[in-house]
Amino acid sequence: MSSDYDYSDDDGDYYDEDDMMSTQDDEGSAPSDDDMDMDAFNDDFSVPTRNARKSYEIEHESLSQTAIEKLMAADIEHISGIFGVDEGTASLLLRHMNWNKERLIEKYMDNASAVSVAAGISLPSRSPPSSSAAAPIRSQGSSARSSSVPLGRTTRQRGKPNSRSPTPALMHGSGRSQAAKPEPFVCPICFDDSQTSFLALSCDHSFCAGCWNAYVTTKIREEGEHAIRCMAEECSLVAPDSFVQNVLSEDPPTWGRFQELLVRHFVGSNPNLKYCPYPSCTFTVSCPAASHKSALTTIVPTVQCGAVATPPHKFCFGCPIEADHRPVICGVAKMWLKKCRDDSETANWIKSNTKECSKCMSTIEKNGGCNHMTCKKCKHEFCWVCMGPWSEHGTAWYSCNRFDEKEGVDARDAQSKSRASLERYLHYYNRWANHEQSAKLSVELYSKTEKKMEEMQITSDLTWIEVQFMKKAVDEVEKCRTTLKWTYAMAYYLDKGNEKELFEDNQRDLEKAVEDLSELLESQIDAELIPSLRQKVTDKTVYVSKRNEIMLEDTAKGFLDGRWAWNVTVEGFD
Amino acid sequence: MDARLRRVNKEIADCKNDRSSNIRIDLIDSSPFHLKGSFPGPQDTPYEGGHFEVDIVIPDSYPFQPVKMKFITKVYHPNVSSASGAICLDILKDAWSPVLTLKSTLISLQSLLCSPEPNDPQDAEVAKHYTTSKRSFDDTARYWTQIYAGGPGSRGKTETKESVRDEVAIAGLEKAHVDQFEALGFERGKVIDVLRRLNYRGANVSKITEDRIVEELLK
Ligand SMILES: [Zn+2]
Ligand SMILES: [Zn+2]
Ligand SMILES: [Zn+2]
Ligand SMILES: [Zn+2]
Ligand SMILES: [Zn+2]
Ligand SMILES: [Zn+2]
Repeated sequence: MSSDYDYSDDDGDYYDEDDMMSTQDDEGSAPSDDDMDMDAFNDDFSVPTRNARKSYEIEHESLSQTAIEKLMAADIEHISGIFGVDEGTASLLLRHMNWNKERLIEKYMDNASAVSVAAGISLPSRSPPSSSAAAPIRSQGSSARSSSVPLGRTTRQRGKPNSRSPTPALMHGSGRSQAAKPEPFVCPICFDDSQTSFLALSCDHSFCAGCWNAYVTTKIREEGEHAIRCMAEECSLVAPDSFVQNVLSEDPPTWGRFQELLVRHFVGSNPNLKYCPYPSCTFTVSCPAASHKSALTTIVPTVQCGAVATPPHKFCFGCPIEADHRPVICGVAKMWLKKCRDDSETANWIKSNTKECSKCMSTIEKNGGCNHMTCKKCKHEFCWVCMGPWSEHGTAWYSCNRFDEKEGVDARDAQSKSRASLERYLHYYNRWANHEQSAKLSVELYSKTEKKMEEMQITSDLTWIEVQFMKKAVDEVEKCRTTLKWTYAMAYYLDKGNEKELFEDNQRDLEKAVEDLSELLESQIDAELIPSLRQKVTDKTVYVSKRNEIMLEDTAKGFLDGRWAWNVTVEGFD
Repeated sequence: MDARLRRVNKEIADCKNDRSSNIRIDLIDSSPFHLKGSFPGPQDTPYEGGHFEVDIVIPDSYPFQPVKMKFITKVYHPNVSSASGAICLDILKDAWSPVLTLKSTLISLQSLLCSPEPNDPQDAEVAKHYTTSKRSFDDTARYWTQIYAGGPGSRGKTETKESVRDEVAIAGLEKAHVDQFEALGFERGKVIDVLRRLNYRGANVSKITEDRIVEELLK
């Protein structure tokens, strides 16, 4: 058995650290909920479970569309009760006020008819004396709030009197089919005199049912509009839901899309809620802890919706940058990406260009991905990234995760000063990009692994479940590379000092563990050694997972404790 | 019959039968969904006497989404792109209503020529010209009408001297300015080009140094 643990010398110190031991003790081995049918092999994996919330995990809840609709219905009922209006009207009022009940109540109590007009529920009681006076009212009621065009203009330009019905303002509930029109009535849109069914909102602007259907469908399907105005020119009435539903009675999918648009509008109006950004997903995530921008300086709100999907729908509640940019906070991640974009040209130039040997100054080109450079002329061996002698890097290049500001400057004395700051950036950028690239290659690694798993089932008597350790390991590697990638963005902005050193120690340990496991996964499989390989991979996966835990946990705690100091101004920090 | 086709056919027919109107809608090719509208420039404007043509494309969801229109004739107007003919008008965007027609929309374009809206410009440079020097703007707009829209005064004027002067006006520049830099030995076409690019007109004249212009001319 002990021969199965034939670790290299490097691995010897894996379990020496005290924090490792204590973490291991804390974990226990309760099965995590995503390991279905894998109990047999869970014994091998005492992978951290989700029993207690970690500092880097944020409390959030996934809500289905039905659940959101219930919340909407409760608000509608509340408003309907207070104002004594039907629910269709209450819904239009709430939507007009972006679901801000308090503001709606205040405004409505102040001037109910003005709010009703603005919400597209009723017509102004009298034609306003001038078109300019009508403009602000209309622009409020209009769904097209983004328009910068002064609405009074249309009236003036077309020079046509407003043909509004003289009927006084009416509160309308459900849009009802109008009684038969006096013959001959031709729909003013399609000019089809064979039409017999006409509909109008309370403004009495009648159009045939076919035109209403085509119009409502276009608004919903092509414009994603949830406030559908009357088709008449300059009429600001908005169709209540019952009217829309009636018009779409033959087209349930479009009615369904309309309801989704309403849900999206409700979610978009509430800072505690976010619609899942994955295509055609209808889940919403509630994360009150991250609703205020100020919270984003202390937490990284990585959340996941309730959809059953592979991969799961993970996203950041605080920003659209990347699904999971832990451990670094949104603001710093954003700054880093901007820097990468701005500097990419210079960085590419430097990267693609040659460097001078720090000893004999002859020009050396980088070949391949290895950072271990040997000068063709003087045989001097050095590190491409830091320009320091390779001998100081030991057998592993990992110790180059730390950009040594002082020694680095000495080594690069020959280079210009502006180049030194660029080199500093490149130190972090290269590692960031490398992990990003490697994480992207996980698809490839996964199919390779799958093949290996198949081979294992043939060449050994392991079962399908027993060879899952490979998949588990690949998943872990990908996860950790994402963490590593963002730790380099964070380290670039961390101020020099003890805290940064501790951060980089954790980073180095995680990186070493990940590279070790990666290497093992790429290695050749010898049938006889499968049991030992399995043991090794399993052990290393557990270890990698714990290192990742430590990295994330410690960084998250640092944010909560205000321990991190930056070398630049970061929004929200003093 | 397709509802869109019926509606468009009726619109074209109605427009033809309306003898009191000066709006025309014509087919460009065999498709009834790609048309050409035209109307005379409104009276008492720099566009008076011109004949303006508009490219009309009728989208699949017409009339529930707005018709697409742009000027074929070059127009010097703050809400019309001097390069592409694109039009900035609310009813062609979110203020569209399905009861509007091709004809009523063309009438709106005609009245847009009467009342520019420089605060919501399509062509920023032209709008700037309009707000800084209305008189000079009118001159340029009139020249464009003459040259591109067949406005009065354009017929029979083929002398080269005349067309050179027109070039200056078209660019919205002062003849004196062009002469001044031409006198320094630069080619006239290049002077017009540089001054136009630098927007050397109206209030800008005092902001741009002669050195700067010479520097540009030497490039
Ligand atoms: Zn109709
Ligand atoms: Zn109406
Ligand atoms: Zn989702
Ligand atoms: Zn974020
Ligand atoms: Zn050398
Ligand atoms: Zn190095």
